[in-house]
Amino acid sequence: MFKKNLVAASILAATSLLLTGGCAATNTGKVDYSKMTPEALAEYLTLESGSFDLDQPTQEGTTARSRVVQDDLQKACSLKKGQELDDQTRAKIMADAAASIKYPAGGFKLGDWKRGRELAWSGFGFRLGNNPDNHKTREVGANCYNCHQIATDRTGGTLGTVLTGYGKLRGNSEDMLKYTYEVIYNPHTYYACTIMPRSGTKNILSQKDILDIMAYLFDPNSPVNK
Amino acid sequence: MFKRTLSSLSAALVAFGASSVYSAQLPEEVMEELIAKNPDSTYLVQSPQNLMMMPDNPAWDSVEAGEKLFRQPRGPKNASLEKCDFGKGPGVLEGAYVELPRYFADAGKVMDIQARLEYCMKTLQGFTDQDPAIKVKHGHTADTTVLQAYIASKSNGMPWNPPLNHPMEKLMRDTGEVMFYRRSGNMDFNCAACHSQTGQRIRASVLPGVSDPADWSKAISWPAYRFSHEATRSSSHRLYDCYWQMRYPNVTAGSDASIAVISFWTDAARGQPAILPDLKR
Ligand code: HEC
Ligand code: HEC
Repeated sequence: MFKKNLVAASILAATSLLLTGGCAATNTGKVDYSKMTPEALAEYLTLESGSFDLDQPTQEGTTARSRVVQDDLQKACSLKKGQELDDQTRAKIMADAAASIKYPAGGFKLGDWKRGRELAWSGFGFRLGNNPDNHKTREVGANCYNCHQIATDRTGGTLGTVLTGYGKLRGNSEDMLKYTYEVIYNPHTYYACTIMPRSGTKNILSQKDILDIMAYLFDPNSPVNK
Repeated sequence: MFKRTLSSLSAALVAFGASSVYSAQLPEEVMEELIAKNPDSTYLVQSPQNLMMMPDNPAWDSVEAGEKLFRQPRGPKNASLEKCDFGKGPGVLEGAYVELPRYFADAGKVMDIQARLEYCMKTLQGFTDQDPAIKVKHGHTADTTVLQAYIASKSNGMPWNPPLNHPMEKLMRDTGEVMFYRRSGNMDFNCAACHSQTGQRIRASVLPGVSDPADWSKAISWPAYRFSHEATRSSSHRLYDCYWQMRYPNVTAGSDASIAVISFWTDAARGQPAILPDLKR
């Protein structure tokens, strides 16, 4: 038992935790919280305290623990209210994001806008808990409408920019197609620490999915441009 | 039915010159007042239908069931929960809920309502983690859900006021803040992605922002009956649901992670009136 706590503590050591032998003012009776910084305790509560069910299998074949271990971008972008990115970190985030993008071998050939429309609408996929999404029964969606107004026939969210008339307003130059592909694949290429998901880099959408969604945004026949 | 009982009760309180001004109010009155004070909040005014239905809020059934359960001798020790101390003394429920989470010396830790209930169910009634009374943490008729509905109803209209005097209370609140901004998962979400600005929308749902105490007060007013779930839900369930949307692992109600986030979110509504029980989409 104590050994297990030491393993946990070693993870936290990096964030200047001093674990003492005593157990005054614990919150679980196992580990002394009182010597921890809020940052160290947040890591402990998330990864070691048993508060989350980290053993549940995920759709991507890992266990749920992998969902809450942060990567570099997630760490850098966990900014509290009032905290800002410094220029150096911003530049690194954008460069790393750009480097993560894999381009379609056949160029930006717009796909099927009808399928793109459904993908843009659907928020299905990757949810766990008591009601886990079964990817065998339904396709993973792209969540775009959660945050964006796109065509006007469905109600979109307001967390993202309005994308109505996207292709009509911006044209479909190679640069515009490339920009859009990159934003969907990894938006931190342009918008460091944006809340928009990295759908390509994090394997939420395939290249084909992205080209179908792009067709929805660019195709003159798509409701987005009507 | 309930409205009648409550108003006659409040009339009685006025007649006896009872100290609490808050108990004279119904949740819908608290909500109306909050809207009147914040007329520009798109979040607060989003559902006139909900407001209209509050007098018939099915959560009152949970309050009633909770009161019965609270008074009923149960468990291996055949005791009721009437001696449970929610922070204001054994059995004192008035205003206890808006002052949680707090540090409890007997347990040596910060507890929210879920954790405190489980603690009393174990120590006073003799239940264990394996008993359905404690094991079943969510559901319209779950013991802890209805008990929370009852206890929370005794804080209706009172300002959220979680204590931060004990270092552990402060630590749990600050830790909850870190967790609120901690990004991870396939979609890189933190709570702030959807709740940093008030009045934004996810599709048609208007989102409350954590920096707007009036909106946030309504946001954290749980237990509430959720139409979309056809069930009364607790704060811990709301947290579970947002973590589910974030593609995180299941968070356990009453766990320290849950208590930390709830410590932060209650502090963020400080001073604003609680609407209990509430009615939500
Ligand atoms: C969680 C919310 C969220 C989701 C989900 C989301 N976006 Fe975004 N998106 C944003 C935000 C916010 C911005 C603005 C960039 C910034 O400043 O952060 C943005 C920017 C964009 C832009 C660039 C806007 C411009 O004016 O050039 C495009 C294009 C875009 N999103 C498309 C999409 C598509 C397509 C999807 C679905 C695959 C999607 N977004 C999903 C939030 C989101
Ligand atoms: C992807 C967006 C998203 C994220 C991320 C998110 N939430 Fe939510 N949250 C929502 C939506 C949508 C609702 C429901 C709003 C409604 O029904 O009006 C909601 C509701 C809530 C409510 C209740 C509001 C009400 O109207 O009763 C609280 C409190 C809350 N969230 C807290 C959190 C916390 C804490 C986190 C982080 C653990 C979080 N949310 C993360 C989208 C999100």
